[in-house]
Amino acid sequence: MSRCGRTAQLEAVAMGEAAPALAAELRAHSKQCALCRHELNWLESESSLFRQRAGRDEVAHLWKGVAQRRGLETPRAWPRVLVAMAAAAALVLLVGRVAPRPTSLATDGSRSRGTEEEALESSMLMSPGSFFFPADEPCSKLPSGVGFQCSPVVPASFLASR
Amino acid sequence: MVLVHVLRLLQRQPAITPETPDEALVRRAQQGESAAFRALFERHVVAVRRFLRDLVRQSDLADDATQETFARAHAQLVKLTDHDRFKPWVLGIARNVAFEARRVRQHDVLDDEDEGTPAAVIPSPDPERVLLDAELEKHFTEAIGTLSENRRAALLMRLDHGLGYEDIAAAFGWSIPTVKNEIHRARLKLRAHLLPHLTGERP
Repeated sequence: MSRCGRTAQLEAVAMGEAAPALAAELRAHSKQCALCRHELNWLESESSLFRQRAGRDEVAHLWKGVAQRRGLETPRAWPRVLVAMAAAAALVLLVGRVAPRPTSLATDGSRSRGTEEEALESSMLMSPGSFFFPADEPCSKLPSGVGFQCSPVVPASFLASR
Repeated sequence: MVLVHVLRLLQRQPAITPETPDEALVRRAQQGESAAFRALFERHVVAVRRFLRDLVRQSDLADDATQETFARAHAQLVKLTDHDRFKPWVLGIARNVAFEARRVRQHDVLDDEDEGTPAAVIPSPDPERVLLDAELEKHFTEAIGTLSENRRAALLMRLDHGLGYEDIAAAFGWSIPTVKNEIHRARLKLRAHLLPHLTGERP
């Protein structure tokens, strides 16, 4: 081993722990000092061997044993996304239930209908003498205030067939 | 309202990334966040497993000891007050686990405490030409195995895992001069063993 007195500092150089200025100074010194050069060669060879050896291990299977011993859950990558999606779906359902049903005419000109009107229309369509609502017939609001009711008109062709 | 509450829950802890320091992970794991402990595991398991394999010298035993080490670390994590010193702390646990495993299995322990320490090992290798092929790795592993358990553990903590002398002294309950002396002796023995394989010469 070196008896130069600077040996202890050489280890910090080999381990990358020395300040750059000190490392440069000690490397320069080692070129002149056979003992320090010898020591630094060994230190750097050892570091190189350990560095090359590191990172060759397969360890992915080891977490399972730790989790079992400590009752830990294995976290997954997607639970936050799933929770957010579930929350969004719940919100949509909530808004859908609370919001009032539309009562105005739709933009395409067709009428939006309430439950009462739907029932009325259904019964008319199912009856033998079908009636229909002409598109230009003025309609009035239903007593419930939801939807419209239009006066049924019996077409002349229907009466003639009778 | 519901969405805001859910978003608050989701944003309560910042995401764990490779840049998240050990200190933060330790604090979060101490509060019961298993994902934080998992991150600590993934960050240090390679080093811990290699350390244990060098100590117990059997792959299957090293695997079991690694799992036991992290299970103990999880159980005792609340005791870790220096949050930024997880690595030396977990290597200290690994050392205890390894020694216990060796005692249980009654493996022969080669103890070189009383052997004469080799003098300076001359000549020295060229560090730029040191290539760890399969043959050299075998000799290297053998050389490490010839050291006594404590000396080997101290050498590995310093050279393989980059721990400072203070950390090693704390892990072993030794004084710093003792740590330095043990590592120095371990180094000389390792060099004497490796010399013929690195330079083709006998010490």
